[in-house]
Amino acid sequence: MPPILEAHDLTKRFELGESSVEALKGVSLAVQPGEFVALMGPSGSGKSTLLQLLGGLDQPTTGAVVFEGEDISHLSDDDATRLRRERTGFVFQAFNLIPLLNVRENIALPFTIAGQDTSRGELRDRIREVITLVELEGKERHRPDQLSAGEQQRVAVARALVTRPSVLLADEPTGNLDYTTGGELLDALWKSCDSAGQTVVLVTHDARAAAYADRVFVIRDGRIRDEIDLGRRPDHSAAPLIARLAQVGL
Amino acid sequence: MGLDRLAWRILAARPLRTLLTTLGVALGVGVLSSSLAMSAGIEAAVDRTVRDVVGSADLRVAAFLEGGLSEATVEAIRMTDGIEVAAPSIERRTFLGAPVTSAGAEAREAVTVVGIEPVAWSRLHELELVAGARLARIDEPSALITESLAEADGYILGSELRIQGHDQPTTLRVIGIIAGPGPVAGAAGRAVIVPVDVARSAFGLEGVTRVDIGLADGVSARDVAERLAERLTLEPYVLSSPADLAEGLRASTADFQATTALVAAIVLFVGSFLIVNTLSMTVGERAREVGLLRAAGATRAQVVRFVLAGALVIGIAGSAFGLVLGLLLGSLMAGSVRALTGFPAEVSSLNAGSLAVAFLVGVAITIAGAVEPAIQAARISPVEALRARLDLPATRRARLGWLALVFVAVAILALLAWPPAAGATGADRALGVYAVLLAATLATPFVLPPLARILGSPLAAFVRLEERLARGSLARDRSRTALTLGALVVGLAMIVALGWTAQAARNAATAWLADVVPGDEVVTSIRPIGPGEAIRGQLAAIEGVRSVTPIATFDLAIRGLRFDAAAIVGADFLADGRLTFIDGERAAALRALDVGGAAILPLPAAERLGLGVGDTISLALGAGTTLDLRVVGVVERSIPGDGGEAILVGWRDASGPIGVPGADVFAVRFEDGAGPAAREALETAARDAALEANPLSRVQGAVTDALGRVFGLFDALALVAVLVAALGIVNTLAMGVVERVHEIGVLRAIGMTRRQASRMVVVEATILGLVGAVLGAVVGLGVGAVLLFLSGGLVASAGLPWASIAIAAVLGLAGPAIAAWYPSRLASRVSIVRALKFE
Repeated sequence: MPPILEAHDLTKRFELGESSVEALKGVSLAVQPGEFVALMGPSGSGKSTLLQLLGGLDQPTTGAVVFEGEDISHLSDDDATRLRRERTGFVFQAFNLIPLLNVRENIALPFTIAGQDTSRGELRDRIREVITLVELEGKERHRPDQLSAGEQQRVAVARALVTRPSVLLADEPTGNLDYTTGGELLDALWKSCDSAGQTVVLVTHDARAAAYADRVFVIRDGRIRDEIDLGRRPDHSAAPLIARLAQVGL
Repeated sequence: MGLDRLAWRILAARPLRTLLTTLGVALGVGVLSSSLAMSAGIEAAVDRTVRDVVGSADLRVAAFLEGGLSEATVEAIRMTDGIEVAAPSIERRTFLGAPVTSAGAEAREAVTVVGIEPVAWSRLHELELVAGARLARIDEPSALITESLAEADGYILGSELRIQGHDQPTTLRVIGIIAGPGPVAGAAGRAVIVPVDVARSAFGLEGVTRVDIGLADGVSARDVAERLAERLTLEPYVLSSPADLAEGLRASTADFQATTALVAAIVLFVGSFLIVNTLSMTVGERAREVGLLRAAGATRAQVVRFVLAGALVIGIAGSAFGLVLGLLLGSLMAGSVRALTGFPAEVSSLNAGSLAVAFLVGVAITIAGAVEPAIQAARISPVEALRARLDLPATRRARLGWLALVFVAVAILALLAWPPAAGATGADRALGVYAVLLAATLATPFVLPPLARILGSPLAAFVRLEERLARGSLARDRSRTALTLGALVVGLAMIVALGWTAQAARNAATAWLADVVPGDEVVTSIRPIGPGEAIRGQLAAIEGVRSVTPIATFDLAIRGLRFDAAAIVGADFLADGRLTFIDGERAAALRALDVGGAAILPLPAAERLGLGVGDTISLALGAGTTLDLRVVGVVERSIPGDGGEAILVGWRDASGPIGVPGADVFAVRFEDGAGPAAREALETAARDAALEANPLSRVQGAVTDALGRVFGLFDALALVAVLVAALGIVNTLAMGVVERVHEIGVLRAIGMTRRQASRMVVVEATILGLVGAVLGAVVGLGVGAVLLFLSGGLVASAGLPWASIAIAAVLGLAGPAIAAWYPSRLASRVSIVRALKFE
């Protein structure tokens, strides 16, 4: 089966006045459909930048990103927007809900932006489905400030999943959550991957979160330093990953 | 780095916001300084005019009756103790050149002829000659003319000059040219100065128009006035001092100055919204920095100073720029005053006092606007500030409360800078208007959400998400939105209110003339046309003319008060159906005028005198004689006089005991269906007789044009308020984008296009504009009602000012839409990656 997402020798340079920072220095990887992949590395390693390039939020300086066989490295703004709206889903560390909108409206946002009617038919069912998936029934009318941090992040996950994206990209989704709530969120992501075949790319610096992945790419100084194949494991034990990381000096 | 320098850096970090706020202050100060400069210009013009009119005279006795002051009165003045110089003079308007009755004579512009006693007059009036010699005797056939007249009509020294008088023209020789436009007020530079006896003979007069008085050293004007009151018992007169004349001249521009000052205060008020909002935004945005400063040991006082330092920079820069704008606006205003009153107001030089006041007021209001944000900043707890943004409900309450205080501050400053000539009544009216505007602004946060929902709902049909997010954004910081919207509402309200006032004034003026003038055409003369002259018959003989009725306006003295009066032919008014009677029987009253011994009072005069039908008025006619007239009717509106509506009397009384020499106006009514040929023939005949014929519609048009010019200026000033409001909208929308940059980044990340992001801001501005237009119209009608009520013009027939409401609606929508241009671009250009990093 061809990869759903590929990166070919990606570089990304940020110009900061007279100086520049090279966040990525030639990264290549491939993600298979239905795979749970983690990008792991310390702060400033370039993992979030890589995720942004993979999700069409930004464009590489050189190299290419191939999404479902299509090079998305140099899409126009409108095409990149359409890609994000229809084929990818994002979950951020900071939840990023719209405070003015309630839970249902936040989840329905991608459809609303596309001008679709979410009050009836399939879209209504899909919204109800993801609300059930993230266990927020009865809280559809709550505003973000009336939810706990874990609930807010579950809304963000539901919003990312509601369009049934080809790839779900999550950037440190447990970064603002406590241990237990973070675990519940990772369970929800893993469940969507394992039972629904959702492809997930997770950025994290936490070995416990990365241990949910089938494969872990270790990034450091803008380069992939290691690729750890953990395989699909329902117990998500972090021990093998930690041992391997110790071997590579992380 | 000192805190003051940090304040400067914070201003520099948001250059657009700083620039727009500075511009807002500049516009406010510009309007204020121009208003003050114009007031100073008017003051200077008043002084100049008074100097021209009375020279160095200490008192002036002016004739009240048409016959002038008799020789006995002049002699009595001369003989009064304490009077050193008494200079009698005659003033008449007439034409130069060929006799006016000769066919084919070309009518030229009128001139003002002043007859003087050369010796006495020159002791009180300075005359600067550019050529020739002065008058020497009271009977020499010589004349001095102004340089302006000489240039315009081609006269030189030695030219022969013919003055059209009551009979044959008087021929004089030009012996001197007076510099420039000369010293005769109201002559527009076309003045001829002749010996008094020559003038007396030319115009067939026995008396003189006035006597200027120079007092002996150490004698008080009050003592002399008392002595004159004892001695001058032969005929009514008006005694005035230069101060009285100045006061009268100031009064003629009082309404104009009051309205200008009011609009200036409102622009400043709107500007203060902008300042409060901008600095509040800055404080809110910099809450973290302020918290850090506090955590690092900065005292509350230091934080207050830090915010005020920023305000001071804006205040100084804005006020300085405002002074430059003020000069430009001042010239515009002075032009309007000249066009309106013919008063030679000039704003040609810098007036240090006006500049200083405007500058200080600008800085003071900026600082006043900054006090509330400064206090809020000082209250920021280091812990709270480092945790979240400063957005507390208490802030809103404090801000609205502060707004009331800023209102009071602006009101006090406006009253301090209030033009003295504008008077207390104008200040009352301004405060009334001001209070309505403040109440409306304070109510804005409460009516905003429901109105935004109602007015935004049509937009939701097309751009549902954008409308929802835009509405939410407006509700995010309701006090900020309220201030922004408040400024827009105030600006638009002023346009509606001034439009309504102007419309009511135009309607009233048009209806007034139509109600009282029994003609389609008004033929005016600068000299009285006596009953014996053939002109009336000549005009009446023109084919298509149905009636020609003579009217004369003059003054009457009743119970020591001056009233405007007019002589009319009652039968003509009866036949033509003019005048609306409130009291008295119409036909009987008008017939009684022609019989004599009767008068018809306009309502204001009836109320002032407390008289009604059946009462008697007693006119002082001089030499101790009186004329009793029975009040036979009270009319809603009467013939307009110099200072009000005229008491109507019949010609028998006017030309008899009252001594009116002749008509100065003929009202001409055409036959039904008379074509343009009749009008043309009438105008030709009038021109040949040195008369000026104008259709009533043109007279009405001239009145409404004059009103239009004045209100046009006020509208322009109100537009400045809308402009300041638009700057506030740019600031608020841009701030909304900056605050929501993370949210916009998220929306973009999950599929919102750049166009949608941009549209969201435009929709926000549109909702703001819609709400502003609706509130502006409502509040404008409220303010207009207050203005009309206070001026007695609020009547059902005034009608609503639909045109002004439409203009306000267009401005309300267009202003925010234009203001949204930059913020919407800002929103569309949000970088997703950077926005997501931004917490």
